[in-house]
Amino acid sequence: MRQPTMPIRSPFESSIAKPGQGNVVLSLLPPNNPTLTTLTYKYPLKLVPRAPGFIPEPDPAALSDKCPSMPVHLYLLTYGGGLLPGDHIEVSIKLDPRTRMVVTTPQGSTKIFKTDSKTDSNFNVIKGHRKKLPANESISDMSQQSLDVKIGRQAAICYLPDPSVPYKDSRYAQVQKFTVDASAKGDQRSSLCVLDWVTQGRTSRGENWNFRFWKGRNEVWAADEKTGKNRLLLRDSVILDDESEAIDADDDEELDIGGMSGSNSHLVHADTPSQAGLVPLNIIQERTRPHGVVGTLILSGPVFDSLGAYFMHQFTSQPRIGSRNWSSESSAPEPSISTNGDVTWTAARVRAGFVLVKFGAKDFETAKVWLGGLLREEGSIAREFGEEALFCL
Amino acid sequence: MFADTLKSEGLELEISQLEARLHDLRSQLDATTYPSPPSSHPDTKTQWTIPSDLYNNKFQSESVRSSSLHALLLLSDSALPLGSFAYSSGLESYLAHNKHLRANPSVSFHRFLKLSIASIASTSLPYVLAGYRHPETIETLDNDLDASTPCIVAQRASVAQGRALIGVWERAFRGSFAAPNRSTDTGAQVAVTSIDEFSDTLKSTLGEVDEYDMGPKGHFAPLWGVVCRAMGLDLQQTAYIYILNHAKAVLSAAVRASVMGPYQAQNILASQSLQDTMMARIKREWNTQVEEAGQVVPALDLWVGRHELLYSRIFNS
Repeated sequence: MRQPTMPIRSPFESSIAKPGQGNVVLSLLPPNNPTLTTLTYKYPLKLVPRAPGFIPEPDPAALSDKCPSMPVHLYLLTYGGGLLPGDHIEVSIKLDPRTRMVVTTPQGSTKIFKTDSKTDSNFNVIKGHRKKLPANESISDMSQQSLDVKIGRQAAICYLPDPSVPYKDSRYAQVQKFTVDASAKGDQRSSLCVLDWVTQGRTSRGENWNFRFWKGRNEVWAADEKTGKNRLLLRDSVILDDESEAIDADDDEELDIGGMSGSNSHLVHADTPSQAGLVPLNIIQERTRPHGVVGTLILSGPVFDSLGAYFMHQFTSQPRIGSRNWSSESSAPEPSISTNGDVTWTAARVRAGFVLVKFGAKDFETAKVWLGGLLREEGSIAREFGEEALFCL
Repeated sequence: MFADTLKSEGLELEISQLEARLHDLRSQLDATTYPSPPSSHPDTKTQWTIPSDLYNNKFQSESVRSSSLHALLLLSDSALPLGSFAYSSGLESYLAHNKHLRANPSVSFHRFLKLSIASIASTSLPYVLAGYRHPETIETLDNDLDASTPCIVAQRASVAQGRALIGVWERAFRGSFAAPNRSTDTGAQVAVTSIDEFSDTLKSTLGEVDEYDMGPKGHFAPLWGVVCRAMGLDLQQTAYIYILNHAKAVLSAAVRASVMGPYQAQNILASQSLQDTMMARIKREWNTQVEEAGQVVPALDLWVGRHELLYSRIFNS
């Protein structure tokens, strides 16, 4: 009997030049054997495949087409459970047709450590491996993570990671790009389920949106291999910036309107006393209020169709805001998970069959219980990918 | 003691009124020498300054004719039939979600206005600027903005206004502004061709839907940039009117939602602090590429998206 090859290379091999880079290819070897044909990574990134424990229940009605292969579970880790200033994680994943992958982060949260060029030396003492950072280069001392996933036809990825927890004074930028096969139609389409969420920081330390910069961008592209054309299907981008930095180096002068601001500045304040109390010390807090965590869930493709429909149904059947219960005898509708008062959320079926769920909750625990509850109640993720896909929720 | 307090309060009131008057007069004076916001874009001329010979008794038709004043006034007119006032940009939903702030509607509204301007500047303004700078890319810009609009409510509002803008351009402005020798700016001619082509594609692909190729939608922001280019506005004016029109629409919605009276709304609209806020946001997004555009106020997406859940609505968004 032919053994499927598992060419897992040593992580210490120098095939990848830059630290923090990782490369994964999931192929389907005959007859129906999902195999990681490439798996490389370099410090501080770590990619660990989990032994496939979950076998989806064979559904006789759709054995051949709908459930093509066993999902492969990949853990995405970083040493220390987070990112230091200057760390640049770059993961690229390719899913061949009909494969399925579950990606989770088994570290409870992705910690974004603080950026402070003065403490660079301290970091170097503690983390001897990390390269010395050039001082005062704002871009290079920002933590960055990029994820590039190519999803073949009928392939599916379920990516429900822990939230990003940016510490006080940290700076972080993340770009997650998913590319689907444009030529696949109907049931042949690629499927994806992606969660991206960020919290206010370490509440135990009283942090409340005290980081300097956090940017999360998720894009889905349709690539046509024949024409080589790429088309943007969805872009979800959240920028939380305390705006403490000048935007342009060459365009730095204050927005001084012809001497007007000097003579009139006190009047401007006197003019709008109501605003004086509003000027927040923390601009990010002001823009996320009253939430302690905000996030987005992106669903697309045949595998997540029923989940998307479920979210839409839950959303539209929320009680109307500002309505009154005119019939006194009828009991109030049973409080279900989706109408939890501490979670404010919205779901929309945007273009190309995407369902976009956006939510804000008072804290991480509330969001986790709410989202985990909905995903478990609907059940298709556990059914298709196994309970461990919901590991972070 | 009580009488003293009363007296000092009266004095304070009078002082603040005088200060407000002084402020108004200063603003009027300054408005005549209003400079442009800092620009790093080389091909733009600034037209903010009305020449000082305005005070001469001689009528100078050239000063009006050579500037883009006429187009500027047309595009900032609240009677421009875009239907902008059918939308509250999330204000109605915000009020419904923040009932506890009803006690002080003015404070609550100021907060919303500030958030709303920051959000429109970070999400849409880069598309306005890109539409102006590269009118020929309108179709890509339209697709990318459509992909970046996270909810149906905002999408409907943007598309309705964008298509209305094309309608106004074709039925009203095109005849006067698209004459080939009217402008020395070749970009303006490119802009005219771009709108024509885009409009044709828009009409010919109506109803034709592919899973991954949705066809053009006609979003407002990039079209605004292109139309302003075609009408001879400069980039600063284009950005400023875009944000100002947004502020006007939100304020108008506030009046109709009984948050404030019309005079108070005009007071805010005229205020220096609103100008400063708008300028600061424009300056911040001046060089933002459309790829980098994004939502800076996540809470606003939630309010706009949940507008559909309101029991009673007077606005479309």
